[in-house]
Amino acid sequence: MTRPSRFAWVLLLAGLYVGVPQVFGGDLYLMSNIVAALTIGGIALSWSLLGNLGGMVSFGHAAFVGVGAYVSALAVMKLGAPVFAGMILGGIGAALASILIAPALRLRGPYFALSILAYAHIFKIIATEWKSLTNGSGGLSSIPRFPEWAGFDFGSKTGSYFIVLTLVLLFAGIYHLVRRSDYGLALRAMHDSEAATRVVGVNSLLLKALMLLLSAFMAGVMGAFNAHYINFLEPDYAFSTLWTTLPIVAAIFGGYRTIAGPLVGAMGVYLVDQLVFKSLIPSGHQVILGALLIGMILWSPGGLLPPLIRLFNRRAHAQA
Amino acid sequence: MLKLDAVTVRFGGLTAVNAVSLDMPAAGILGLVGPNGAGKTTLFNAISGLVKPGTGAIRFAGNDISRWPQYRRARAGLGRTFQIPQPLAQLTVRENLLVAQRFGAGAVDRQRLDEILALVNLLAKADCDAATALSLSELKALEVAKALATDPQLLLLDEVLAGMESESKRAFRGMLQQVHERFRVGLLIIEHDIETISALCPRVVVLNFGEVIADGAPGQVFRDPRVIESYTGQATA
Amino acid sequence: MTELILQALYSGILAGSSYALIALGLALVFGTMRIINLAHGEMVLVAAYMAYTLENAYQWNPLLAIPLAVIVACMLSVVVNFLVSRIRHDRELNSLILTFGFGIMLTNISLMLWKADIRSTRSAWLQDAISFGSLYSMKSELLFFAVSLVLVGLVAWWLRASWYGRAVRAVSSHREAARLMGINPQRTELVSFLVAGLLAGFAGVALYCNSVIQPSLGGALTVKAFIITVLAGMGSIVGVLVGALLIGIAEALTTTLASSALQDLTGMVLFLLVLFVMPNGLFGTKRHD
Repeated sequence: MTRPSRFAWVLLLAGLYVGVPQVFGGDLYLMSNIVAALTIGGIALSWSLLGNLGGMVSFGHAAFVGVGAYVSALAVMKLGAPVFAGMILGGIGAALASILIAPALRLRGPYFALSILAYAHIFKIIATEWKSLTNGSGGLSSIPRFPEWAGFDFGSKTGSYFIVLTLVLLFAGIYHLVRRSDYGLALRAMHDSEAATRVVGVNSLLLKALMLLLSAFMAGVMGAFNAHYINFLEPDYAFSTLWTTLPIVAAIFGGYRTIAGPLVGAMGVYLVDQLVFKSLIPSGHQVILGALLIGMILWSPGGLLPPLIRLFNRRAHAQA
Repeated sequence: MLKLDAVTVRFGGLTAVNAVSLDMPAAGILGLVGPNGAGKTTLFNAISGLVKPGTGAIRFAGNDISRWPQYRRARAGLGRTFQIPQPLAQLTVRENLLVAQRFGAGAVDRQRLDEILALVNLLAKADCDAATALSLSELKALEVAKALATDPQLLLLDEVLAGMESESKRAFRGMLQQVHERFRVGLLIIEHDIETISALCPRVVVLNFGEVIADGAPGQVFRDPRVIESYTGQATA
Repeated sequence: MTELILQALYSGILAGSSYALIALGLALVFGTMRIINLAHGEMVLVAAYMAYTLENAYQWNPLLAIPLAVIVACMLSVVVNFLVSRIRHDRELNSLILTFGFGIMLTNISLMLWKADIRSTRSAWLQDAISFGSLYSMKSELLFFAVSLVLVGLVAWWLRASWYGRAVRAVSSHREAARLMGINPQRTELVSFLVAGLLAGFAGVALYCNSVIQPSLGGALTVKAFIITVLAGMGSIVGVLVGALLIGIAEALTTTLASSALQDLTGMVLFLLVLFVMPNGLFGTKRHD
């Protein structure tokens, strides 16, 4: 595939930052779905970063999302931090939380995946029981929204869209930089030849831990964003398995080996889930998500999008 | 440079390495031989850090490295190759050395990288996929190159000639000699081929059942009746 | 105080016996196929709902639902076996995602069919208290404790003495060598899944009788079973039993001494402790990875 040219990038960014708000800005329902989809996309990105670079599949990213959300909300509400700073604190909080699970990186894949699943449960229980801090199942309401800045109200739908879009693009950029660096090389080698990397001087455990920290940070920031976006938080919602499931489905659907894959997958899956599945099976729409996961693993573990793109390219070339 | 002090390695009830002591000066070449199961690879694993010795100490370049993790030993100048080549998968040959240099030596030196590739005859295949595009002897050459790229003071070579026919062996031997001379690197070699060992190593240590039974020049060691008995099971007539 | 603690120990042991069934099934499957069935807990839950359905619709005693629960659990188990064996690449990790998806399907199907309400048996006979001295339990707890012990014992015996049992042990320890000895690994996997289904069926009904069920319980059960297998270490049935009892006791003690809301936390904290301090589990054989 040819690298998108500079011009294509400018066009894309213009489209995203200017085109989308101009065209869809008035449709609040659509915009809120786009914002939500991008949030899921950001988490999906962080999940696939851990999988691709860290080599670890996680079933507990909801933990980081929830921790990020709570840390940010509490930092703003109880410590008076500005909202944007709160988001960063949320990310840091999630990263610190991930340090606790870092020893599990020594374990083999399935063990790590399940450790982090148990971990997510632990945080949910802590958030529910530590009532003095988090108000327990009563939740936190009236979480401050994004402020006005430079004359623009970032608390509006369009404003929130800009924030989440910027975050996602930023994270994608970081992902790309890491992947391209020497660390990226070492991480790639570590997938199949971890023992060999250690013998040439790679501190493989440290690298994996750093990827975990980065992934947790990103997921935490997304969680924090969401908290200030919907202005309400309670344990079952903050640590809901949907925050784990949807990103995984999105990443696999879009092709988790690429950077764009999880993002595009998130747009697709979320929108389809909201607009189609939910109307078909309101209370159990996740059944379709589960079936999708199974289907994709069996028939297209590289994602549904890459083959579709290939098909599209072939058709386009055929007609040229 | 490398000093083993009564190193013992036990696996459950089996003592694989029994109070082995060894003193190896810098930039020397030492051969490690012994019948199968004598504990040679286990000793290597202890030196390179894959297993920790139960008792005893391992000193390298003045430091007690007995408890150091593998990557730290590699960065300190202890390189190691594996019996069954383990290239860094999903990377090209050049990228293999890049990683080794960046993390083992601390800095990337492209000129030296090419030098190493030229020495082991892999320059032509520098951009091929390391795990899939190389023959067995090329893979073994890559093992050596990778370890060299970490800028080592001592290279542990584990049966790096196994499975080659004599023509390739002689070529490889020459290459190892060059490595030793050009980069002033010490070599600690496990080998079964007595001809190779005798030609390459001025000093040989023989291991049997985890213990050192002989230590000296190859001519002298291979005539030692105990050594012959360990291989053939019977004393010479 | 000692009375309370003794009671907690007693209740914990009784509860732990059911956990052992769940964990044992998970461990058997992991042994033969080297995958962790993330839908295992959900399978147990569906089995429990079978008991609910029969009691609710036909007023049957839940114990009579055991055959149906076992059959349904075995069918689900076989489906998982089939799906996972179809994975072509990277089975270790892809099977996690697949069974995760299957678990989500089961949880949400349970949600749709039986709603989110908490269910439990209404059978008075089962819920009747029975006492040994000052120790109390429900009749069903004691009953299923005995059943669990018998089942675990049977499985242990089966693994040692029967052809398929030994095949399972062989495949678990060295698949290729087993194949060379004439053992069919795929069929052995299927057998292990069936046994896991059998145990899950019993565990489900036990859960329904001893405790309460709701759709969200599935995931927590899988985690709990996994925690027990980690506590037990690889390859030890006694370990699974002891680990399960330990979790049961720890939970009961937490409920007694602290609060029932924290009881799930205990298991998880124990788990993380073991993971980081004793990665081979309490009984596991050391692995040379």
